[in-house]
Amino acid sequence: MVAATVVALVLAALGGVSTGLRRRIGAAHVAGAALLEALLLVQAAVVVVGMAGGHRPAELATFLSYLVSVVLLPVAGLLWARSEPTRWAGTVLGVAALAVTVMLWRLLDLWAVTRG
Amino acid sequence: MAERPGQEPAGALGGPAAEPAGGTVDTSRGPGRVLVAVYGVFALAAGARAAVQLATQFDEAPLAYLLSALAAAVYLVATVALSRSGRRTALVACTVELVGVLVVGTLSLLDPAAFPDETVWSNYGQGYVFIPLGLPVLGLLWLRHQAEADRPR
Repeated sequence: MVAATVVALVLAALGGVSTGLRRRIGAAHVAGAALLEALLLVQAAVVVVGMAGGHRPAELATFLSYLVSVVLLPVAGLLWARSEPTRWAGTVLGVAALAVTVMLWRLLDLWAVTRG
Repeated sequence: MAERPGQEPAGALGGPAAEPAGGTVDTSRGPGRVLVAVYGVFALAAGARAAVQLATQFDEAPLAYLLSALAAAVYLVATVALSRSGRRTALVACTVELVGVLVVGTLSLLDPAAFPDETVWSNYGQGYVFIPLGLPVLGLLWLRHQAEADRPR
């Protein structure tokens, strides 16, 4: 969870840097997004195992919709950034990474508040 | 020496970016795409939240949740309009948003009792780092910039 947050923030920073340098996105961004995606999938697996073990987070519906969308975000951000030829591609990816950070934080919040 | 895309190998941070060749009128390109991305995230977040709230706890604060749903709808319209260069629709959506965040923000401060639960626009979007307040302003500036680029020189 913490690792995923760090990777997401680094990815957001990388996106900002390439926009500042007027460059498109490159291997570093793809690698960062892939690493982030891998961590998010591991986290989703851990959550599913935990829920199978009887843990119920607060606001179950919200929690699940966040869990699904957070896994989709890096993929969507990367695909869309790759099709953008200007220097703003990095920022698009950065926005996706920041959104992942916020959602991770919300997920952790909901996970910690157990219901019953 | 002018940099042209493809002249140097793409490093870890990627090759040089293509710069728009002046006068391109497309609200979904360049900085516009960043705007669409942020709008998209907000449409998704506000929409999902409003749907859950309306479905599970509508009785607790109907006004707040309906406002959340309205906000989500406006974000969705703005996202689509910006990504398809529908400038007039985008202009209306951004204006509605700005008015909405100002009115709801002011009302939520004056009469907190009427807003027992948070909406996206409560306290000028404080719960969302004031992004709901800044976003329509950026959107309107971007649309004005596009309109100026559109004008024949």
